[in-house]
Amino acid sequence: MPSAIDFLSQGINGIVLGLLLSTIAIGFTLMLGVVGVINFAHGVLFALGAYFALTMRNTLGFWAALVISPLMVGLVGIIIERLAVRRMYGKDALFCLLLTFGIAMSVEELIRMIWGKLGHSMAAPLLFSGSIDLGFMLYSKYRLLLAVICGLILFLVWIFLEKTSYGAIVKAGAQDSEMVAVLGNNINRLRTFVFGFGSALAGIAGVIAGPLWTVRPGMGNDAIMPAFVIVVLGGIGSFWGTLIGGLAVGLSVSLAVMFFPRMSDLVMYILAAAVLLFWPRGIMGEKSLLEE
Amino acid sequence: MKRFLRHPFLWMFLFFLIMPYLMPLIKGYTALASEILIYAMFALGFNLLLSYTGLASFGHAAFFGIGAYAMALTQLKWSENLWLGLLMGMVSAGVFSGIVGALICRKRGIYLSLLTLAFSQMFFLVAFRWDEVTGGETGLTGLTRPPLALPGLPAVSLKGPMAFYFFTLAVFMIVMILIWRLVHSPFGSVLQSIKQNEMRAKYVGYNTAFYKWMSFTISGVVSGLAGAMFLLQHGAVFPTYMNWTESGNVVMVTIMGGGLINFFGPILGGGIFVILQNAIGAFTEHWLLILGMIFIAIIMLIPEGILGLLKRTKASA
Repeated sequence: MPSAIDFLSQGINGIVLGLLLSTIAIGFTLMLGVVGVINFAHGVLFALGAYFALTMRNTLGFWAALVISPLMVGLVGIIIERLAVRRMYGKDALFCLLLTFGIAMSVEELIRMIWGKLGHSMAAPLLFSGSIDLGFMLYSKYRLLLAVICGLILFLVWIFLEKTSYGAIVKAGAQDSEMVAVLGNNINRLRTFVFGFGSALAGIAGVIAGPLWTVRPGMGNDAIMPAFVIVVLGGIGSFWGTLIGGLAVGLSVSLAVMFFPRMSDLVMYILAAAVLLFWPRGIMGEKSLLEE
Repeated sequence: MKRFLRHPFLWMFLFFLIMPYLMPLIKGYTALASEILIYAMFALGFNLLLSYTGLASFGHAAFFGIGAYAMALTQLKWSENLWLGLLMGMVSAGVFSGIVGALICRKRGIYLSLLTLAFSQMFFLVAFRWDEVTGGETGLTGLTRPPLALPGLPAVSLKGPMAFYFFTLAVFMIVMILIWRLVHSPFGSVLQSIKQNEMRAKYVGYNTAFYKWMSFTISGVVSGLAGAMFLLQHGAVFPTYMNWTESGNVVMVTIMGGGLINFFGPILGGGIFVILQNAIGAFTEHWLLILGMIFIAIIMLIPEGILGLLKRTKASA
């Protein structure tokens, strides 16, 4: 039987992981809600964030990478939206999904060509490497930093969605983008913005996940699957649903490690299936046009 | 007689009869021809769901993989009988697709895609981690291709690539004819009415959830059979067969050939996919980049697929 300290440390790990996964999923769920796209490329955008940062790490340093890399990923997202995704609006959602599937496939291979097949380890910033004594146990300083950064980003996203007028339009777009257009907003600009914004969020998550997970070509898959599950759990386009879903996935996976170490990541899929049987649209989901 | 001569099945059958002999022209080999038919079978079963019922499942590789694992485990733990292996492949895939289908048959659109993806990932992880049964990451290898035994006839060895090809062709033709009959039956009409307007089909009095469940399960069974045949072809099964990218590939292949418009689209798409994979893979290890770009081009330029494009040009000419 695991001890109380094990529970506590795995619990903290779970919250840290949950905050990271929520950061990955928030961009994904906004894109899904506002643009109506299951963006399979979200995982490779996450990976690009990590790789851009890896390249800048030794010259510009971690903190500069944390700012510049997400901007570059956001730009990549805007280019993808402008050149490709835009042409799919008004068609069956399936086409857009397949388009991003093709993009994900190509970009992952491009990453392999540019940075190689093997994984790279990325050093945490010097000030935050090693561990800190919490009094009852030692804990990795970088994980605490990660939790703080993710918490801050999520807070800023919340401020943006709840306290600014453009955020209100984005939020409305996640529920009924047609109505938002009818009310006189430039829906195309809104979609481009959300696509770029969501990509940048994936990029930030990639940078901070870099030192924790190894930076490798397939790392996007580790990010996109939890994002799918979190959206199913929390409901499409919902901020609080995403946060709750992210923490639920992070905690359940981390705690399950103590009992079924090999099958721990299976838990999140079981969780998603169970929740959907009782809440067909996820915990916080509302009726959406995407069901039709 | 004239109708018989004009039937596409006849011409397709004749083409498939000589296909293995054409393979050297594209630097292929006989086994590649078998692989084309197996993949075409998989895509055809999938298309029953995608184009006829209108459900975009993103997890069908799981049932393909379950079919392959069931065939392998039947051989390893029970019997090397060919028919038993194929039957177990179909039954196992049918049981699991039946369970998943029951859980999702009231969903539609994006939720259905997300859920099928989540379930397939569950099966993938079990195959990946359950070392004792599935062999984990290294999979199950070294399986045999049992001889074809029919009552009253001497057993025929399938070890040679030609013998196996013609066996595959027989299985493929049976599956194709059955699916053809199914989509042109009253059952098939109900499926198509669900695709066009589920609400209306429901109000007319059809239990649409049941029909969706049936079509999900049937397409799962066909995927399982294709998986079991794939195991016979390669003598091995790996968890990567069930990866979500494989599920995406079959959707893409179905669309690429024109499955949304034409019954035969998935067959064409499957053929092109297998040949492309082989041809590009021969000269660059980065074939996924090229395949991905082909997928992007198809979706942006001819979303109705190749057979759909032919129909469009014919109509405008």
